[in-house]
Amino acid sequence: MEQLTTSLAPPRANPKPSVTNSSQQVAGSVAKRLTNELMTLMMSSSPGISAFPKSDGNLFEWVGTIEGPAETIYAGLSFRISISFPANYPYVAPAIKFDTPCFHPNVDITSGAICLDILQDKWSAVYSVQTILLSLQSLLGEPNNASPLNTDAAAVWDTPDAFKAQLMKYYRPLKDTA
Amino acid sequence: MATAALRSQVAAKWHEGFNRLNRSEPGISGLLSFSQAWNIATDYLHPRDISDPTSVKHHDLPSVKASFDLINRSRRLPVMLETFLDDICDQYHLIVRDIEQYLAEYEESADTSVILRLVFRLVEWYRAWAPIDELGPTIRAAYTLTFQTQLFSILPPAFVRGFKALCASTLVPVAQLAPPMWEAFEVLGLTDRYEGIIASVGYERIEDYVRETCTGRWDKPCLEELRVWMTEQIVPWMLPMYAKGAGNTEDARGMLQNVGSRFDFHMNKTLCDLRTSEIFDIIIDFPDSNGALQDLKECLQRVDQRSSLVQALRKANRKRLLHPGADTKLILSQYVATIKCLRIVDPPGVLLFKVADPIRRYLRERPDTIRSIVANLVGDDDSGDSLVDENEPIQPLQQLETEDYNDPHWDPEPIDAGPDFRTNKPSDVISTLVSIYDSKDLFVKELQVLLAQRLLAITDDNFEKVEKERRNIEILKIRFGEAALQVCEVMLRDMTDSKRIDGHVQSQKASIVHPTIISRHFWPSLESSDIVMPGQFQALQTQYAKEFSTFKPDKKLRWLPHLGTVHLELQLEDRTIETDVPPLEAAFIELFSEKNTWTMDELIEGVGAVDRTAALKALITWIDLGVLKEDEENTFRLLEVTEEAAPSSRTAPTASETPTVTAAQQQQADQMRLYWKFIEGMLTNLGSLPLDRIQTMLRFAPGYDQTVEQLARFMEAARREGLVVGRDGMWKLNR
Repeated sequence: MEQLTTSLAPPRANPKPSVTNSSQQVAGSVAKRLTNELMTLMMSSSPGISAFPKSDGNLFEWVGTIEGPAETIYAGLSFRISISFPANYPYVAPAIKFDTPCFHPNVDITSGAICLDILQDKWSAVYSVQTILLSLQSLLGEPNNASPLNTDAAAVWDTPDAFKAQLMKYYRPLKDTA
Repeated sequence: MATAALRSQVAAKWHEGFNRLNRSEPGISGLLSFSQAWNIATDYLHPRDISDPTSVKHHDLPSVKASFDLINRSRRLPVMLETFLDDICDQYHLIVRDIEQYLAEYEESADTSVILRLVFRLVEWYRAWAPIDELGPTIRAAYTLTFQTQLFSILPPAFVRGFKALCASTLVPVAQLAPPMWEAFEVLGLTDRYEGIIASVGYERIEDYVRETCTGRWDKPCLEELRVWMTEQIVPWMLPMYAKGAGNTEDARGMLQNVGSRFDFHMNKTLCDLRTSEIFDIIIDFPDSNGALQDLKECLQRVDQRSSLVQALRKANRKRLLHPGADTKLILSQYVATIKCLRIVDPPGVLLFKVADPIRRYLRERPDTIRSIVANLVGDDDSGDSLVDENEPIQPLQQLETEDYNDPHWDPEPIDAGPDFRTNKPSDVISTLVSIYDSKDLFVKELQVLLAQRLLAITDDNFEKVEKERRNIEILKIRFGEAALQVCEVMLRDMTDSKRIDGHVQSQKASIVHPTIISRHFWPSLESSDIVMPGQFQALQTQYAKEFSTFKPDKKLRWLPHLGTVHLELQLEDRTIETDVPPLEAAFIELFSEKNTWTMDELIEGVGAVDRTAALKALITWIDLGVLKEDEENTFRLLEVTEEAAPSSRTAPTASETPTVTAAQQQQADQMRLYWKFIEGMLTNLGSLPLDRIQTMLRFAPGYDQTVEQLARFMEAARREGLVVGRDGMWKLNR
């Protein structure tokens, strides 16, 4: 059986160039996927979420903006995040962190690291920048207090006034320059 | 007081003079015989009045000769010549009198024979006054010179006119040549002096003849015929003048070569001028004007008139073609004809390039150029005559290539090629037309739009039409390439799929709705409409949609009701009306089944939202059919029983047919909206950006092709709308 499959596999005459070739193809296809995602995101006009590549030369580093959902404690606040896509995206989740200090049970206040299942073990290739951003937006209003990164935040979550005070202590409004 | 030396000197001179005249004859007998000889000679030479018979004197020639001989021996001949020439000048008034007389007669009769007689008369004078040959050629030449100088100085302009007419008269029709006339001209030196005039007579004759025979005759080449005419008519005429004294034809040919080539050149030039002035019409007549083009080609090789041809054609194009009054189709077909014609005249294409440039620039500015070209490509032309030659092989579009210097057949650019001249290899007409624009994408887009229109216009089971479109697309694929027309392919497949799906749905549950199901992504954006079909139409749609979703659970139908047609049978009290109408009309009449009287506003509300003009137009359709009546303004009543057709108080507003498919222009606006989304996205996330950064970042937007200037204008427009603020060259969102 083993032999059968190997003999069925297409002969690889010259492995070396084909390797470089395929890696180029991979990079190309990732870029294409990211371009498509950007297009979809731009056209979707979902309120309160947005992202764009940092520079015209690098499609793998994006900057995102998430507005706190209305009627939550984060309403009226905007958070800047940075998204970094791996070379083997979308088979591996992008690395995402908050640039704006975000007092939140699932967000590390100093590093900005995010604890969200779809960004770790639940990641799937069908997710996209848009789904990630929407998930993050909803995470703001509905934290997962069972596995907090920021235990202080998790502790005061139930007392909105105290939480708000802490939130505003750390929050920095967005500046114009990235 | 004279000194002795002076005196002796004078004496010596005197002796010398005396001896010369006296020729050492005894006494003064020598002197006497000299004076006698002088008298005889001067009397003989004295210019007489030939019209006065009494003046004819008979001389004893031997004694005259002896006298001349004697004078010659005394070395007094120069003095005598002087006296003689002075005499001629003195007597010239006789000739002047004659000339005046003849010319007066000519002025009156305008008869060239008078001039001819005058010429002969002058020859008579000349002969009568000529000294005898024994005096030698020097004196003869001096005489001729003086005679002719005098003659030319007194000939009035009227003579020149007459002379020209005389020459011309020998030409049309070529009279039996009058050799004496040419001889007379020669004798009087008129040939040399008036050579220009004689030549101009020839030139004018050539011009007249060319104009007479060739104007408007473009079907076959004239040049050969003209050459024959030249040999038969002009050359014999030239012979006596330019080949005088030629012993045989061989000599004559040699002498004529120079002047002959001048005349031939003139003929070429005249024909070239003529064709240049006719060029626009020649192009219109193409291919029936092939002969003229061949002539022009040959003439241009001989005559350097290329630039004037270009000028003339450009001017004619500007005046007659490139203005708003000309139809785009017409401009295109004239352009194609120009291409074909100038390719004949000038194969390297320099002329074409120079002429085509303004046409192409003009066409680029016309909004419907692409549409016209594409319509022609798919054979959608009403006029029927296609720009494309049926016989021309269909070939892929050719891109303009840079010169290939390794090509063994490489030729340098022609010398009159401008700096931006691009050698277009003889490419086919379609390639040339498509190259008016920088990219073929525009064509492909327009092609999709057109195909969409045509496919949507197909109703019922008219599937041959779809097949026809498929054939068209197959042909176009060869030109534009497989990939470019993939979308068209999908559209065509949608058509067949629709039929199949419809067949399936109908087999499940028969319905009278037969939708064409199209894939939104692959069709050009269709005009959306907010019509909601009322009553039974709505029910039919919903029912069909239900059946469809059981067949294709992952797809959902979105209706575009305004694009269909409805076959209706209206049953009224006294009559039944069967008709095919657009959906809006059907929707309105459906509403009338609820109640008999509706106001305009109610009706519009009943079908969702339509624009008033469209609504009015739909209602007028029914009024025209005698189904509705507008009792008072904006109130309509159903006529269950026919009423006397009152003259319609309204005429249909000139609402143009709403185009089903948004044209390329509309798509461009959509494109700009897309770019705005990207700009908005980048400004949201990256804060404020300078213009050039925005420009480079827009690289991410698919198909972004605007220049930075266009972007600047766009941003300026966005600023005016309050969407962005710009400060210090930095743009940011206005929030």
